Amino acid sequence: MSVDRSYQASFNENNQEFIIAGKLRPQNEADIKPLADALATSLAKVRGTFYLNVKRLARLNNVAFRAITTLISQVCRQRGDLRVEIVTSSVMGWSTRKFQPLARHLPNVSVNEYDNDFYPGQSFVEDSGFIPTLRNQTKLTWHHEKHLLPRHGLRPGMTMADICCGIGDFAVLVQKELKPASILALDHSRASLDYARKVAQDFGITGIEYVYGDASEMVLDDNQFDFVTCRHSLQVFDRPELILKELFRICKPGGRVYITNEKNSHCLGEPRAESIQWTYNEVARLWADFKMDIEFGPKSRRHMLDAGFEDIMVDSFMVTNLDGDPEGFADIIRSWEKVFIDKLARDRGDSPEFIARFRQGFQDHIYAALHPKGYAGWPIWAASGRKPA
Amino acid sequence: MDIEAFASEWLHCDRVSSYLARMVSHTRTDPLLYANLLSSALNELLETAFAHHGPEGEFSCRVSRAGDADVIELDLPCDETALAFYSAAARRLTQPDLAEVYREALFAPGNADPHLGLLEVAVDYRARISIVPEKGNRLKLAAEVALEGAAA
Repeated sequence: MSVDRSYQASFNENNQEFIIAGKLRPQNEADIKPLADALATSLAKVRGTFYLNVKRLARLNNVAFRAITTLISQVCRQRGDLRVEIVTSSVMGWSTRKFQPLARHLPNVSVNEYDNDFYPGQSFVEDSGFIPTLRNQTKLTWHHEKHLLPRHGLRPGMTMADICCGIGDFAVLVQKELKPASILALDHSRASLDYARKVAQDFGITGIEYVYGDASEMVLDDNQFDFVTCRHSLQVFDRPELILKELFRICKPGGRVYITNEKNSHCLGEPRAESIQWTYNEVARLWADFKMDIEFGPKSRRHMLDAGFEDIMVDSFMVTNLDGDPEGFADIIRSWEKVFIDKLARDRGDSPEFIARFRQGFQDHIYAALHPKGYAGWPIWAASGRKPA
Repeated sequence: MDIEAFASEWLHCDRVSSYLARMVSHTRTDPLLYANLLSSALNELLETAFAHHGPEGEFSCRVSRAGDADVIELDLPCDETALAFYSAAARRLTQPDLAEVYREALFAPGNADPHLGLLEVAVDYRARISIVPEKGNRLKLAAEVALEGAAA
């Protein structure tokens, strides 16, 4: 008989957090004695709240479940002052449901599905009214990216992942025009994935697997994909290095990771350049107040090097009102105006005077986009790096 | 495979459940999530069969699809002891408040309740479980699970 050692366990004393990841399906409790001992030692060290993090525990049988919960039950009964919070992830599907009976069984245990409130920007994109804007954005950026992607290493027949795929329209365009062998498209919004699947079905697109997942802790094997894309996402995440680490992990050695991000303060337009400039400088400050870095674009190179990539390539391109229908460009600005003012600025508690001036810059950007002699731009940085072979 | 061969290695339960779940889930709406759930349910059934079966004979695991549901069928040799075990399980699975039966089994002191895996599959995965003795000292353990949207 062999013992499967495919779990990892660690204790972070500063956070009072015990993390179990991987797979726990022992035949008997003795098989996981080292883990049980480490858990008992860790429980003995903490005061207040102890966090049991099972976000990345993919498999757990009842032998292991009982070993863990028996230990926690014993400690909780002896120490009424101790609280135990089980941190699960909705991505696994089973873990929240599995641990909930423990919370009902013991008053000082709670279960927290951590990723419910994890993505600050997610509520915007789940608003179905925002979907036409997202599609429009992809249509305009695709005009540039279809030429850039082969330059950054995407070839027909590659296995590709599109992480934070949103409504999936980019994956569909890639599949149709650049012909990778397959695409795994992952997002943390079930609403967006439902939409993506419907679009793929309506257009008879095959070869794309849409999966629910957390980009910062993906349940995907290491070294799987030749080409990994992650667009407009690092900028709306408060810890982009966590996602980059995961992108690096799932990419094959020698494969490339491709990211796009903006620098919103560089949005521009003529006429009325000054008003436009002021507003987009304020956009950058506004996002920063919500822990999102909408200025991430030019920082891509540094972040990719820090994450361990080599052979970094960086391109920038300007989506403009001349890329197609100027009304399409104007629609994007209108949706920004709505989200940035009606959601973010109002949530921040900005004054009516500030909001009036802030709104004027968006109006002027739209004016520039639709002016017969006007020019309006939205700059984007595309960067890619190779995972060392 | 032969039941002896299956029961000679505990990791067979995990390997078979992980592999089969991934293979049959690829056409589901969310293949990874579906495989995760199906593997968990299938593993509990396999672990039960691993621990409770007759001494010799063929063991088979069949997974088939019926619309939204997947049907897992384990066909195993069954002696008197195993038959008594599965008959008791079948009786418990028809109890009215099955969730409470499962919860009590989950936190029962002492050794683990031997029916815990079957109770979990019935409650947490809302499986319809049937246990049918067959001719020649054999038994069919079947679970019909509809996991699409189960995690949402």
